[in-house]
Amino acid sequence: MLSTTVIKEIIKVVGKENVLTTKEELLCYAYDSTPRAFLPDLVARPCCTAQIQKIAKLANEHLFPLVPRGAGTGLSGGSLPVDGGVVVDLTRMNKILEIDEENLVAVVEPGVITFQIQEEVEKRGLFYPPDPASLKTSTIGGNVAECAGGPRALKYGVTRDYVLGLEVVTPDGEVITTGGKTVKSVTGYDLLRLYTGSEGTLGIITKIYLRLIPKPEAKKTMMVVYDKLDDAAQSVSRIIRGGIIPVTLEMMDDRTIRCVENYKQMGLPLDAEAILIIEVDGPQILLDSQAQEIAKLCQDCGAREIKIAETEEERESIWAARRSVSAAVVQIKPTKISEDISVPRMAIPRMVRRLKEIASRYNLELVIFGHAGDGNLHPNILCDQTDAEEMQRVEKAIGELFKAAVELGGTLSGEHGIGMMKAPYLKVETGEAGFEVMRRIKEALDPNNILNPGKIFRGDTNG
Amino acid sequence: MDNKTIKEYLNRCSKCGGCQAVCPLYGETHSEPLVARGKLFLMKNYLDGNLDLSPKMMELMSLCLLCKACTVQCPNRIPVDELVLSIRREIAHHKGIPFVKKNVFQHLLQNNGRLTIAAKLAYLYQQSGLQWLMRKTNILGLLPGEIARKEKLLPRMAKIPFRAQVPKTLSSSKPRLRVGYYTGCLTNYVFAETGHAVLKVLKNHSLDVVIPEQWCCGLPALASGDEESAVLLARRNIEAFKKADVDIIITDCASCGSMLHEYGDLIGGRDARIFSQKVVDFSQLIGDVIDFQPGDKEVSGVATYHDPCHLCRGQGVVEAPRRLIKAVPGITFREMEESDRCCGAAGSFNLSHYHLANKIGHRKIRNVIESGAQLVITGCPSCIMQIRHQLELQEASVQVMHLAELLSKTY
Ligand SMILES: Cc1cc2nc3c(=O)[nH]c(=O)nc-3n(C[C@H](O)[C@H](O)[C@H](O)COP(=O)(O)OP(=O)(O)OC[C@H]3O[C@@H](n4cnc5c(N)ncnc54)[C@H](O)[C@@H]3O)c2cc1C
Ligand code: SF4
Ligand code: SF4
Repeated sequence: MLSTTVIKEIIKVVGKENVLTTKEELLCYAYDSTPRAFLPDLVARPCCTAQIQKIAKLANEHLFPLVPRGAGTGLSGGSLPVDGGVVVDLTRMNKILEIDEENLVAVVEPGVITFQIQEEVEKRGLFYPPDPASLKTSTIGGNVAECAGGPRALKYGVTRDYVLGLEVVTPDGEVITTGGKTVKSVTGYDLLRLYTGSEGTLGIITKIYLRLIPKPEAKKTMMVVYDKLDDAAQSVSRIIRGGIIPVTLEMMDDRTIRCVENYKQMGLPLDAEAILIIEVDGPQILLDSQAQEIAKLCQDCGAREIKIAETEEERESIWAARRSVSAAVVQIKPTKISEDISVPRMAIPRMVRRLKEIASRYNLELVIFGHAGDGNLHPNILCDQTDAEEMQRVEKAIGELFKAAVELGGTLSGEHGIGMMKAPYLKVETGEAGFEVMRRIKEALDPNNILNPGKIFRGDTNG
Repeated sequence: MDNKTIKEYLNRCSKCGGCQAVCPLYGETHSEPLVARGKLFLMKNYLDGNLDLSPKMMELMSLCLLCKACTVQCPNRIPVDELVLSIRREIAHHKGIPFVKKNVFQHLLQNNGRLTIAAKLAYLYQQSGLQWLMRKTNILGLLPGEIARKEKLLPRMAKIPFRAQVPKTLSSSKPRLRVGYYTGCLTNYVFAETGHAVLKVLKNHSLDVVIPEQWCCGLPALASGDEESAVLLARRNIEAFKKADVDIIITDCASCGSMLHEYGDLIGGRDARIFSQKVVDFSQLIGDVIDFQPGDKEVSGVATYHDPCHLCRGQGVVEAPRRLIKAVPGITFREMEESDRCCGAAGSFNLSHYHLANKIGHRKIRNVIESGAQLVITGCPSCIMQIRHQLELQEASVQVMHLAELLSKTY
């Protein structure tokens, strides 16, 4: 609980209308896109770096937690105030400060919605590639804090690859700027990389310098159907080795295909084991031959059917299948637990089989889709959060699927972060020593454990 | 909707946040309690006994445009607007309806005589110069709240209600259809010109028209949680149009139209269902049921179209109005950005939440201006009121009119 003095101090900083304290309003900042919720003591909606600094100073003086929050679309519980305290809502800091067309840099505040940045830069013939499926709602600050990825990561990389500079309010209320408009920078430790993906535990990001690239001229999309999952995986590897890097290489497993077809009747084959959606981009004149080349490779690997989109409508309809996955799968059961393990590309078939085996052992509904090109799979367990017994089985199955991923040389999380949901499993991947290094960094930068306590490290003793 | 269904829907929200991208209120405020996800979570907490119907809760539940933007995009197909209506009903049930509203729903709207007198008083107030004086001297500016500026939002009342200006039936020599015309309150008491335009277009298409005695559609009552009044009004309208023995029922008001479509579910029974099945929007009758035959007068200018929420998402009418606009000789049609984003009118939302509605309206006007149109065409009188007010606030020299008026200008 916050004392009335503290509440008054916070009101002095951000203004009365930007402080929320009623239970009704607090409840609306208690959740993110995970099924969990924790009530904060207060929500503050600052408008600038200086206000955030003051709030951080207050937090250290009076020892209350600060939980940075963007749009609250996180899938690992990153913005959940698990220990109460103050949620720092950054959505009012939503200005695009500059688009420098000469240096190919955009300077933005953290609360800008990623899609808006893309729209603005594309108007100028430029391109900001990272495209999490949540791009129309999630904030760029949240993307940087989670190092969000997306389908285009295969060719263009993830958020980290586009962060050139950051302004950060440290846990004790100082402001630092690391990096900036230059592409090269080796002054001291690479703090950019440290803060990118730090999940709101090391600092509050208040300004972001993003690298832009010229916008590719055109794209071409195809859908490839496989009788055998292994053939699909083989194709993925052959395509990439063949020298063409598609922008996206998305996969849906048999169960996903059936769900989508049930939901939308778009003529997908119900007996196929996998579908790949492949898109290439670049200069128009190259695309036809690239598409043909890929089609041939897929054919050689045993593809049963290949559909290359010739018109914008055909392209749309292929993507519509992929986009309706989320909606289609919740028709099975209302609660969707999305994981995002990543494994080396060629381990995909083995991983899929392990996943299916685990699901059947725990008698759970499981669909698998994701970014086959980079081995980042989204196994989704469909369950009912009001069924406590089932949720226990889900818990156990998740533990096993993380273990399986690590055993196959993979990682717990390709893009959603550790947050609170995966904290209990972190050591499976990092080991004791790796965990200890991270914990010491956290302790050094945030000795009072002000920023986002209970994330990444809890599950062990020291939050 | 019963409690079990409501709970099931609430349980279905995966909190994906997708509604943030489309909710006009969230777009302007970035405030989580105003977006569907927040409201659903609050409702869930209320049903779980974790929240009361506190003043804050009531305020938050009043903050919804019922624009259905979230409903149509929700991956989990949650009918958010219907859930908001059901919690408002719950609030009305436990907390009662504010005195003024109650008076309007239960007395004024159910009594056309009194309603006409009220409208006349409003007309006199506007004509007497009192309104002019008050605006000029800014006396209203001394009054609390936003009364002064809101007052400008109020439309100029028609001197004589539209239905009193025209005969109850209009026959044509070789009628193709017998059309029942549901005029809606705004056309009747404020925008008589829209009513005349509708009749002019119908007359040019060999249709018999009947305008039976009729009552408010009941949407304002329902939106405030007063289902009882809504049901009463619905029954009367069903009865009136049954007696009129028409083939089809048209309306020039998107909101009334979507409400009339609900009668079947609201009341149940054969009569109500038949009534609802007969309802089409004016643009559907002219554009889809019969072939629009424009007159030969040219109307020059660049026009754009605003999709009323209750027409595009409420009734799935998107294409017919555009086709009709393009068929008007002399008109160049230009699509605006976000044509289907709510203008902020939302019944009386623009009166109860004036500032917020202005922010939403501001965005609409920006899109209108950027389209380069000199004329905004739409299919709902409340949108016309809101868009006109917003155009005035921003001193934009753009005209707004009902589709029927545009079409009627060709004869
Ligand atoms: C339907 C759906 C699809 C998704 N698809 C993808 C996908 O394809 N790829 C992907 O990577 N993710 C995806 N996500 C997950 C999520 O959208 C991303 O993690 C996103 O980056 C979160 O952004 P946000 O603004 O919602 O942040 P929040 O959820 O509010 O916060 C996320 C974390 O960032 C911290 N944070 C937020 N802003 C700041 C700041 N300014 N400074 C410091 N810390 C901050 C928070 O404390 C928290 O730890 C998806 C989520 C949903 C619901
Ligand atoms: S889009 Fe639907 S499921 Fe997603 S948060 Fe909004 S209401 Fe819930
Ligand atoms: S109906 Fe409209 S205003 Fe209401 S929550 Fe949905 S999108 Fe927002």
